[in-house]
Amino acid sequence: MTPFRDMPIQQKLMTMILVTNGVVLALTCAAFVGYDLLSFRQSTVRQLATLAEIIAAESTGAVAFDNQRDATEILGALQAERHVVAACLYDNKGQVFARYPANAPDSALPPQPLADGYRFENGHLVGFTPVVQLAGRDRFGTLHVKSDMGAMWERLRLYGLIAALVVLVASLVAYALSRMFQRQISQPILALSRTARAISDRRDYSVRAQKHGEDELGALTDAFNHMLTQIQEQNQLLETRVRERTAELEAANNELEAFGSSAAHDLRTPLRTIKGFADVLLDPRTSLSGAEAQRYVRMIREGSGQMSRLIEDLLNFSRLGRQAIVRRTVDVEALCREIFEELTAGPDVRRIDLQLQQLPPVNGDPSLLRVVFVNLLSNALKYTRPCAVAVIEVGIRKDPPTLAPVYFVRDNGVGFDMRDAGKLFGVFQRLHHAHEFEGTGVGLATVRRIIDRHGGRIWAEATPQAGATFFFTFSDPVL
Amino acid sequence: MALLRILAAGLLALWLAPPGPLRAAESRPEPEYQLKAVFLFNFAQFVEWPARSFRGPDAPLIIGVSGTDPFGAYLDNLVTGEKVGTHPLVVRRYRRDEDPTDCHILFVAASETAALGPAIARLNGRSILTVSDIETFTREGGMVRFVTEGGKIRLRINVEAAKAVDLRISSKILRPATVVTREKN
Repeated sequence: MTPFRDMPIQQKLMTMILVTNGVVLALTCAAFVGYDLLSFRQSTVRQLATLAEIIAAESTGAVAFDNQRDATEILGALQAERHVVAACLYDNKGQVFARYPANAPDSALPPQPLADGYRFENGHLVGFTPVVQLAGRDRFGTLHVKSDMGAMWERLRLYGLIAALVVLVASLVAYALSRMFQRQISQPILALSRTARAISDRRDYSVRAQKHGEDELGALTDAFNHMLTQIQEQNQLLETRVRERTAELEAANNELEAFGSSAAHDLRTPLRTIKGFADVLLDPRTSLSGAEAQRYVRMIREGSGQMSRLIEDLLNFSRLGRQAIVRRTVDVEALCREIFEELTAGPDVRRIDLQLQQLPPVNGDPSLLRVVFVNLLSNALKYTRPCAVAVIEVGIRKDPPTLAPVYFVRDNGVGFDMRDAGKLFGVFQRLHHAHEFEGTGVGLATVRRIIDRHGGRIWAEATPQAGATFFFTFSDPVL
Repeated sequence: MALLRILAAGLLALWLAPPGPLRAAESRPEPEYQLKAVFLFNFAQFVEWPARSFRGPDAPLIIGVSGTDPFGAYLDNLVTGEKVGTHPLVVRRYRRDEDPTDCHILFVAASETAALGPAIARLNGRSILTVSDIETFTREGGMVRFVTEGGKIRLRINVEAAKAVDLRISSKILRPATVVTREKN
């Protein structure tokens, strides 16, 4: 048999209810039977005493006038009470005078009367009652009666039967009721355990335990479900984070690959120039004029200069990834104006319009913000070069869904095809030929990296030959 | 010789002894009369007398013996110091010329057989339980007769006669007794 602690909870509850019920009933029955037997004993004594009183009173005449036959007849009336097994009358000398049953042997009767009263002896109730006619007068004799306890045993048997029946019926009823009631407790627990098993088996955190009521089990179910929700949310959060990280890693990897091939390609271009001119200069078969040779050497120097710029930009760009950001409140409006003035300080025949809106200060790294605006503004200046009137606009746009201001730098330059928008911010990604517009292809990549590191976003919209707009945000520094 | 002398002395004693109650007082009665004496005494417990039979609550209940007393001192010894209710028991013996009208139980001795009718008539309807072992007793108007049957003493009771003088005899002694009437004995 299963030990109690290993039983299923339903069985445990049923066992508990049935055992409790049985014990209570048995105790109650035992108490009732005990009480009844006690009172039955007393009432048996009373009944026998009453019977004896009647017989004794009835037999006074017979004893007083020495009529044995009559006395025997009177005692014969005792046969109506079948539990009286023996009785006798003693005369005033203590001799047996009449007996019941009429043929009772002497051994069945006490040889002489004992003290008056009733007592239980050897499973029998025995009693002695004086035979007196008038109160206060001497007794004519003594009546002895002896009753077996058959009535009590019969009653005990009957009671035992009734008690057994009651216990049986009550147990059946209790069984039926407990089957019904134990569900209140076992069902929610079973539901919980089923849910828990389902979760551990299938790792499905979307299932929920069904709640059955507002009791402690209901609270437990709620807590359990709440826990599941939390696990689920956390899982989702983790998954999202993993996806994000993966995407970031992939992006970084792609960027790195692109960077690698572009860097190789871009670095090779000036190298090829340098090598080409150097080869020509060193070739003994070629005879160069001094001016020509000088031009070639200048070309070599230009190539190495370009290469050096390229390496410098790359170093700056890669440094950006490691450098810590020191945030401060930066007045970007003043910054823009300052940069614009620096950039347009040289001789330029074009008319350049700077439309600078009022800009809220940005919480960011001042030197990095400067790099952002230097790049964007110099790009704007660069790509408006073919225009007679360059219009460069710097402002903010409040997007309704986001409270963070979106800054933009707009120009009316050559723009680009929106199909190339994806390549725009890659390292060494250039949409125009170097002979059209000079540049290393690191500028916008650097800008994006700075914006990224400030937790912001950058994107561009453009129409070919109609200008481009670069939008960017800086995130709340708290987030 | 000795036997003859004892017999002679006995006869002399009989002759010398005064008649009446005193004569048998010294001797012990036969067992039959011992039992009858006990019965007489027991009657006091099974019969109720009307209140007027007693002068007061302490008045004695008198057991009378008329005629030649067969009980002797045995009856006296039996009742000495005994009481029924508040009434002390007393034995009184009556001579033939005395009216035994103050007693409550009257034993009429066998010596009175001849004048039984007048002796009962003399009681004049008083509440006296008359007892005797004379054969014609109940026929003559007596109430209780002792009858010896198979060595046992049995009672014949004329309940009507007792009722007529306001005596209430307990049914408990009617049970071991035989109820008779004046006519049917």
